[in-house]
Formats: sequence, C-alpha cells, structure tokens
Amino acid sequence: MDLFLQLLVNGFINGSNYALLGIGFGLIFSTTGIVHFAYGSVYTFAAYVAWFLATSFGLALLPSMAGAIVAAVLLGVACYTLLYRPLELRRAPPLIPLIASLGLNIMLENLNAIIFGSGVRSANFASEVYFAGPVFFTSVHIWQVVSCIAVVAALVVFLRKTRYGRAILAMTDDPNMARVVGIDTKKVSYIVFALGSAISAVAATLTLMKDGASTHMGFIAVFMGFVAVIVGGVGSLRGVIAGGFLLGIVESLGLWKISTEWQSSIAFIVLFIMIMLRPQGLFSIARR
Amino acid sequence: MSGPILEVKGLVAGYGKKRAVHGVDLTLNKGETLLVLGHNGAGKTTLMQSVFGLNPPMAGQVFYEGRDVTARNPALNVADGLAFVPQGHAIFSSLTVRDNLELGAFVETDRARIQKHLDDVFSMFPILKEREKQIAGTFSGGQKQMLAIGMALMHGPRVLILDEPSIGLAPNLVDRVMKSVEEIKRRFDASIIIVEQNVKYSLPVADRVVVLKTGGVIYEGAPEPLMDHQKLIELF
Repeated sequence: MDLFLQLLVNGFINGSNYALLGIGFGLIFSTTGIVHFAYGSVYTFAAYVAWFLATSFGLALLPSMAGAIVAAVLLGVACYTLLYRPLELRRAPPLIPLIASLGLNIMLENLNAIIFGSGVRSANFASEVYFAGPVFFTSVHIWQVVSCIAVVAALVVFLRKTRYGRAILAMTDDPNMARVVGIDTKKVSYIVFALGSAISAVAATLTLMKDGASTHMGFIAVFMGFVAVIVGGVGSLRGVIAGGFLLGIVESLGLWKISTEWQSSIAFIVLFIMIMLRPQGLFSIARR
Repeated sequence: MSGPILEVKGLVAGYGKKRAVHGVDLTLNKGETLLVLGHNGAGKTTLMQSVFGLNPPMAGQVFYEGRDVTARNPALNVADGLAFVPQGHAIFSSLTVRDNLELGAFVETDRARIQKHLDDVFSMFPILKEREKQIAGTFSGGQKQMLAIGMALMHGPRVLILDEPSIGLAPNLVDRVMKSVEEIKRRFDASIIIVEQNVKYSLPVADRVVVLKTGGVIYEGAPEPLMDHQKLIELF
C-alpha cells in the first residue's frame, strides 16, 4: 500500500510536468496547426541556459528560470520566423512543416550538443526532502506542482480576460474566421510561439533541478507533451491538463507491476488506447 | 445614394493556377444594397474573398473609400470598416454567443461603441440576447446565421458583404434574414453587398443587381427587369 501511495504521488508530480509540456506544445499546435517537434530542442536549450546561468553566475532558481524563459522565447520565435512563417506564406501542405520541424529538431539538438557538450549537466539548486506518512517528496516536486498550477492560472486569466487571449481562443476554433473578424493571425502566431516556449523553459528548469540537463531530454519531453495533447483533446486546456496527469499517474502506477525499463512504453500504450477508443481526446472542443 | 464607397476594377482571382473570376468590374455606392447573383461556380465567393483580402487577386484593383486596398491584410480592412460574413454559418462554434459577439468587435477599442453595437444587435436579433451564454455551436442554422451577421455588425461596418446568407435556411428564416438588411442599413448606415443564388427572396431588397456567370459579369442594372421570369431564364 505504501508503495502504491508513493507511486501515485510520483505520478501526480510527473503528471504536472507532462501537463506543463502539453500546455506549451498544445498552445502552439492548436492555435497555428503546426506540429512543432523542435519544441523539444527549445526545451533542452532552456535547460542548458538555466544550467549555464546557475553554474557560471551562481544564480538561484528563479533568476536562472527567468533567463531560460528569455532564451526559450527568442529561440521559439526564431523557429517560427525563419522556418514556419515562410512555409505558411508559400501555403505549404501540412506535411511539409511537420517534416521541417523534425529536421529542425535534429539540427537544434546537435547545436545544443556542440554548444553545451553531450554529457549530463547538473545545477546545485537547494532542495529539501519532506515526508508525509509513508510518502516522501522533495522541494523540486513542490516546485513542479506549484509551477503547473501557477502557469495554468495565469494562462486562464490571459485567455479569458485579455484581447489577444481571446484572439488565441478564436484562432484555435477557426483560423479563417479569426481573419474575418480582423484578428492579425500572424501576430497571434508569434504570441503563442513565445508563450509556448516560455512554458517549456519553466518545465525545463525544473527538470534540470531534478534530473539535470542532457542533449536528448527534449525528445521524451516533446513526446510526452504530444501524448498529453492527444489524450486530452486538441484545443482544450482542461483536456491537456487531464491528459498530462493521467499520463503521469498511469506511467508511475505501471511500475508497480512492470519493470522500469518498460516505463517509456506505457505512454505509447496510453496513446494507442486513446486513439482507438476516443480519437477526439477526453475533452475535444466543438469545431465547425 | 451618393458616390462609390467600394470599386473593383478588372479583378482576376482564383485558387492556385485556376482562375475563377476573369476581370470583373464592380461598384458599390454609398447607402446601396448591391445583389450579386450567380449559380454555383460563377465566381461569386472567390470575388468577394478577393475584395475582402482573404484570397489576394491575381490581377486588378480594389478601392475602398477611394484608397487602394488590393490584397490588403483583412485585419486592416476590418479596422477600416469592411465586414464580411462568409457562407455556412461563420461563427466560433466552441465559444459562447457573447464571446462570438465580442470577437466580432475585436478591432473596436471604444467600449461605449461596442456596447451600442451590442445593444443594436440584441435589438435586431433578441434570441442572441436570450442565449448569450449558450455555446454557439449548439445553435440551429438560422440562429447561427443571425449570430454571424451580428458578429459582423459589432464593429459598426460601413460596408457589409453577406455571402449566401440564405444557404441551408428554411424559407421563413431566409425572409427574416433578408428583412434584417433594411434594418442594418438604417441602424448602421452601411452599404451592403449580398451574394446569392436565392433570387426570390434577395431581389426585393436590392437597389441594383450584378449577375455573374463563369467568372464574368453578364448583367448589371436595376432589379426590376429580373423580376420577369423569362429574362432570368435567359440570363442563367
């Protein structure tokens, strides 16, 4: 029973990280229609920048995270400006940006390795261990859950209460209608690439704190974000949050009976089951 | 009625390399209701999308209030008072009626003007007020069309383009939508282009008619001669 409780808590904590990744990735995907697989490399880059700031300048967690956010936003916006936007202007079929994003991811992954090296980089942010009965967790875990709650709250306020937040909701529903009512869809695309990249940097800094930064960390991150979006339903914020937590909990509880080496396969199994049983996701939005 | 508010000169438009509109000239005068008639494939929608900026023309020019707005970003056209209601219940289905109407006023920053336009829209279509918190995608076809028109009115347009507003609607609803045209002109002081196939309901509200066939203008003039059934058959 103790093990079950510990796995459940671990799953909840990992789920908050997957939800964050899903929110960032899904925000870009549902608004622009771009499957931004290079999101993984933006995430990796952000983790390395946080590591660099923490180890070279001795910055604490929050200033390092702030620096990582700035770096991720710049790289994310550059991805849109230099790759996806020109493809949009040429009216490229959807497969082309998809392939381009995979190529960009490989290129940026290699660049990350050239700049920061290929080994695991760790930053010594202060971390405490806490016990609640038979369950233990650390301050990093608390940061992960609190960050997820803070990002969701800020995003909800932004989407519901601001002009460009509502423009994002409109473009997610129907990009052509968004143009018809006078929304500058190019500006909205820049905003979601900036926001999505900023969210990736929050998740990346916390992963750096927990596991360190490595060149290939972005692949599994973008995949988990992608699964959270598909499981939750494209375009649904509550869906992607539910998808992230479901994925984290199922993956963690799976370890109760399955060897750890199969852990990453659990996400695939969740994805396959969801695609077969409910392809529109848990909370799909109504579209025209 | 006074001078032209919208002029289209030699407009050529299409999709990819395929041309659907071949050098069309069109004028909309201030305060006028212009009816653009034509069968499926006549190029009506392509023409209006090009005028509005959704589908940049291959050749030709569009002038709005004397300024060249050819191939301009639709966001700028909307900000300058152009509004377009695409065919097929053009709304945001996942959002509430109120959200849809507020998005219709996206380019308007003056809260007092937004409230005035909202009051006008609610007065014209009371069902929208009654169901402002309802998700728009759950509306019936007629209600969706009213909402689509209401959205276009939310920024107080000077030119309103309605693309086949009668499509998929029961006759009583078509009548209701067409009757709203006069009210729109009165309340919003707007000039209107109606793109239609439904001659019976649209002809009575028109001041002038243009008939398109295979991407070209084959008739331009008063609506009265077209009320003669034989004349219409000859044209189509």
